[in-house]
Amino acid sequence: MITSIAWKNVWRNKTRSFTVIAAVTIGVFAGVFSMAAINSSIVQRINAAVNEELSHIQVNNKDFRSSGDIRDIISDPSAVISTLEKTAGVTAVTGRIIVRGIASTSAGSTGVEITGIDTEKEKQMFTIDRKLIPGTGSYFGSDTKFNTAFIGEKLARELNIIRYILTSEALSGLETAGVPLTVIEKLRSLEGQRFTTEKKFSAAYSELLSAKELKKYGLKIKEAGWSYREGSRIILTFLDMNNNQTGAAFRICGIYRTNNDLFESLTVFVPASELRQLTGIGEGQFHRIIARLEEDDLTNDVTPVIREALPGYEVMNWKEIQPDLAMIADYINQIYAVFMVLILAALAFGIVNTMLMAVLERTRELGMLAAIGMNRRRVFMMIMLESIFLSIVGGVAGMAVSGIVIAITGHTGINLVKYSEGMEAFGYSAHLYPSIGAEFFVTLTILIVVTGIVSAIYPARKALKLNPVEALRGE
Amino acid sequence: MKVVEINDVSKTYHDTEVEVKAVNGVTLSFEKGDFAVVVGPSGSGKTTLLNLIGGLDQPTGGEIIVAGHRLSELRPSELIDFRMEHVGFVFQSYNLIPVLTAEENVGFIMNLQKWPKEKRKARTDELLLSVGLSDRHKSRPSQLSGGQQQRVAVARALAPRPEFILADEPTANLDSKSAETLLDIMEKLNREEQMTFIFSTHDIRVMKRARRVITLEDGRVVSDERTNGAG
Repeated sequence: MITSIAWKNVWRNKTRSFTVIAAVTIGVFAGVFSMAAINSSIVQRINAAVNEELSHIQVNNKDFRSSGDIRDIISDPSAVISTLEKTAGVTAVTGRIIVRGIASTSAGSTGVEITGIDTEKEKQMFTIDRKLIPGTGSYFGSDTKFNTAFIGEKLARELNIIRYILTSEALSGLETAGVPLTVIEKLRSLEGQRFTTEKKFSAAYSELLSAKELKKYGLKIKEAGWSYREGSRIILTFLDMNNNQTGAAFRICGIYRTNNDLFESLTVFVPASELRQLTGIGEGQFHRIIARLEEDDLTNDVTPVIREALPGYEVMNWKEIQPDLAMIADYINQIYAVFMVLILAALAFGIVNTMLMAVLERTRELGMLAAIGMNRRRVFMMIMLESIFLSIVGGVAGMAVSGIVIAITGHTGINLVKYSEGMEAFGYSAHLYPSIGAEFFVTLTILIVVTGIVSAIYPARKALKLNPVEALRGE
Repeated sequence: MKVVEINDVSKTYHDTEVEVKAVNGVTLSFEKGDFAVVVGPSGSGKTTLLNLIGGLDQPTGGEIIVAGHRLSELRPSELIDFRMEHVGFVFQSYNLIPVLTAEENVGFIMNLQKWPKEKRKARTDELLLSVGLSDRHKSRPSQLSGGQQQRVAVARALAPRPEFILADEPTANLDSKSAETLLDIMEKLNREEQMTFIFSTHDIRVMKRARRVITLEDGRVVSDERTNGAG
């Protein structure tokens, strides 16, 4: 009976109840969806760091990271590899030769880290081969007598390997992509012109288009003009094992694109065998040996085991190499907690306000109920239940909306390409695929009910303090 | 048989500056089957007296015994149970629970008392029939006229078979026809079920029907007359 009255009371002032429920729904949705977006951004970043850049655990010569000296190689690589392969939780091991040097073309030069890799083994441990930009070649695919390098898009731009040309095919492609003919006609004057940088290219087409056209079609035009000169070469120069300057021309076999500008501009992959010939580093020798684990979660447990087994080396896991990322990963639960507190605080204020209004509005009725024999426990229960129902309806609606929106955007993604420069500079993807664990929903549901209960205590106590005679006199 | 005994009861309110004696040394008793009205000018203490009898308020002096219970000895929680078990209330503004239907309102106190469902339904049907609302079981208060709402309130008050009904100005908000109908019903219930009714009222129609008229002035009983209830 009390439950039934409480439920009916929730709906007696429909406008107010719907307003509160809408507020709770929007609040819960905003919180959950933001959390899902942040969560996906962090998870994507961690996955990228582990799968493309670092893997789980790295073993270096003790001095190599600080000195960067080519001669600081791992003294007993076979023992290290054997130890790593025997360690429980390790699924794959590979070695790298890492040389700091200069990459240059006729357009300019820049400092890079030339990473000599076992191209086949790396494919088992990293996903960088799958980051190849279509149309730019392959991941060390074709046999060639030349030295080959697999470089990042950012570096390719810096060295003007990527250019911008609006060819007649590109203009036709724009038409297919839905760009109006009027806009394409305006761009005709640029047909065939070569622009060495993205900046120059966008300046040129920006002059021809209105602000509205630019906003709507700018990105498509930029993508259409993107052009890569196949077979381009870069010169890599560095020191060899005898501290003599050496170098060679490397033909670019392919260009990769990640979400990390810094990684793209710094890391040049070359086959270890080519780098060995040029530097004089012996067969089987490495600067760094990398281990991949079954799961990310094993990182904290396996690291000390390897560290103990390899006392003469620097053993670091991805969290230690990128402490900022590790901090975010480790504190994600605290971030969840902050969001939950914000969501629940908004919910609590809404509920307290509504229930106080309901109690004050119904003073006479509550007085009557006390007069005819409804005891304090039942009055208290009734107010509590009303509050819990309001919270649950709003909370469930909010989570349902969040669930649907997260499911849709998790599939289609959210394109933040407008802000990609800022985000990718920090290694975060401009395409978010919001996701959140089921346990977050369960926890939030429980907390919403608890918040509903806690929020109702003050209004319910207010109802208990009513004197029936005074309450009835209120009429 | 005495249902209510009031012995030298006083109720004094302490306002900020003045002391107000709302009820002053009242001694009365009500027998089973009484159909009594308490009359008097505004501020004479009618409602206060009814509140004291109903255990809604505690006297500052004297003693009230209802169905063998000394009200001053009951704790607040016991007073709530006492009201539920022994007293039926009818208020001037009907005070039905707006979200419940007529039958749910009538069954409300029986529900609190955990009556079995069949018994509760039978009693509700019987009461709604006797107040002339057998066709309005599912109507909400907002779908009923003032007179009909007050009849539901009477049925609610009677439902758990209390010792007596306290009705504070029950006809004040009703038109003549509705008031007469309500009084007919209450008279009939008084006659047939030997239910004790104690009213406070200004309404001459109620006074005419009463078989006992108690007049209060300045919190004191100035007359207590038995009549024929000529109505």
